[in-house]
Amino acid sequence: MASDGVLLDARGITKVFGGVRAVDDVSLRVQTGTLHALIGPNGAGKTTLFNTLSGYARPERGTVVFRGTDVTRAPNWQRVRMGMGRTFQTPSVFPELTVDENVRLGVRAYAREAFRLRTPRGEAAAAVDRRVDELLGFVGITGSRERSLAVLSAGTQRLCEIAMSLSTDPALVLLDEPMAGLAESETDRIITVIRDLRERLGLTVLFVEHNMRVVLSLADRITVLDRGKLLAEGTPDDIAANPAVRDAYLGEGVLDHV
Amino acid sequence: MSARGTTIASMVVLVVLAAAPFLSPLVHLDVSIVSEVLVTAIAAMSVNLLLGYTGLPAFGNAAYFGLGAYGAALSAKYFHVSFLLAILIGTAAALLGGLLLGPFLLRRRGIYFGLLSIAFGQVFYFIAYRYTDVTGGEDGMNFPRPPLGLPFANVTVNETAFYYVALAAFVLALLAFRAIVASPFGRTLVAIRQNEVRVRYLGLNSDRFIFVALLISATMAGVGGALFALLINFAYPLELDWHQSGYFVLMMILGGAGTVWGPLLGSAIFVIGKDIISTITPLWQIFLGALFVACVLGFPRGIVGTFSAVLRRRAHVADVDDANAAFDPHAPVEVGRGV
Repeated sequence: MASDGVLLDARGITKVFGGVRAVDDVSLRVQTGTLHALIGPNGAGKTTLFNTLSGYARPERGTVVFRGTDVTRAPNWQRVRMGMGRTFQTPSVFPELTVDENVRLGVRAYAREAFRLRTPRGEAAAAVDRRVDELLGFVGITGSRERSLAVLSAGTQRLCEIAMSLSTDPALVLLDEPMAGLAESETDRIITVIRDLRERLGLTVLFVEHNMRVVLSLADRITVLDRGKLLAEGTPDDIAANPAVRDAYLGEGVLDHV
Repeated sequence: MSARGTTIASMVVLVVLAAAPFLSPLVHLDVSIVSEVLVTAIAAMSVNLLLGYTGLPAFGNAAYFGLGAYGAALSAKYFHVSFLLAILIGTAAALLGGLLLGPFLLRRRGIYFGLLSIAFGQVFYFIAYRYTDVTGGEDGMNFPRPPLGLPFANVTVNETAFYYVALAAFVLALLAFRAIVASPFGRTLVAIRQNEVRVRYLGLNSDRFIFVALLISATMAGVGGALFALLINFAYPLELDWHQSGYFVLMMILGGAGTVWGPLLGSAIFVIGKDIISTITPLWQIFLGALFVACVLGFPRGIVGTFSAVLRRRAHVADVDDANAAFDPHAPVEVGRGV
């Protein structure tokens, strides 16, 4: 880990799609131990930036430094092994497998067992079982473990996806709109889990979120994107008071109620 | 299907197969046709690993099948190697083909993987077709079936003996296949079929898994091809052709993609169906085509896949109260989409 407490340091990221600068010279620093929110109107480039950070897409310009190592050219699976986990806007899971199997695949991958032709027995198997139990318990979906993902609610799928991204023992978790399309009770559950990620597991979280009220109450640090460019960066108080941010969100009225 | 039901059904099938040389005359079936069923079933299994389990359109596995066939045929004809050594050489040739093509095929997914597989297969087809001096070109090449090659039993291989060698190869391939698809490695292949992006975001280099699956598939197809050449004492370019690849895909889908026993059933229907219908009319392909269309529209999971889904739905109704029962990590893993 970098000594100055910067876990993820992205500098001058530019990503172009057919002439459109989806992300234009954006820099972002995520401090160790923070809940860092990435916000902005639709099309601001949040997911694209996420994709370059996590290795889903390669930026045209800029560098991504994670835990002091330049990972700009590292493939996504390597970044995961270095301690980066992520979820997607639409939960990226194995729909035909059960909750248990979904999480188990991640635990086995982390235990370097995925390539084996023999299912480990004895202590190794018990360790995998314990870890699966622990992860399912952490996100609170133990009751659904034998059900296949395809039949579960969006909220449970998302919780399962979070458990999967935790199975590889990350230091940083990237959550792309973890509350999109969820019922209110499910949203509360996700908020609790995000808080627990830091309080109980000591992780750093970078998340994209639309609900400003949630963002302002949850995040320590907020980065605002607008039309691919960095608009503002600061504490929730800074952001709520920032006239440029108020402009970008004008008409939505969200900031007046906070 | 319950684990016990599957075991019993498997044993019944194996007993019937073991007795096939004595049973087949009763239904006026030549034992060599049953050998062909087993041999092509091995090749259909090789397609199943890539297409049924990993989700890669393996539309060019005849390349490995043909490499196995020509590897066995050429070594038997020109170097007079034994029956078993010819199988080994054919298999090695197919594995080598996989090692050669794998790095290129790995770079593409979906339909482009399929197109690339076909294209590479056709390269081998044209080599066999044009390299007339060695391969006999379009006419193919015949060779006498070599003696078995075991030090204590270097006997000639008659049709019944051939059948038991083919059965041994099939059973070995089936056991290996079952072990592979039930292993953590096999589970990861199924995961790749469902969502390769997530597999990579679990920190796994999916390319590595796909490459190994390709090599296993090429090796199995090679065993099938080598045995096929030794069965008919003949090798010809059409064994490498993309039609042949299509037949393997057809057998697998007919029997049930992503099931352990599907390829055998598909191969049996295809080979025996072809044998019976072609004595009645030369237009046997029309009937098999119609069967294929009916299968894809009516039972897209294939015969074994549909059958086991129905049984599972029944079992599930009885199991509802059991949904939260303790998880048994040693319970047999349900592989792919069926038994």
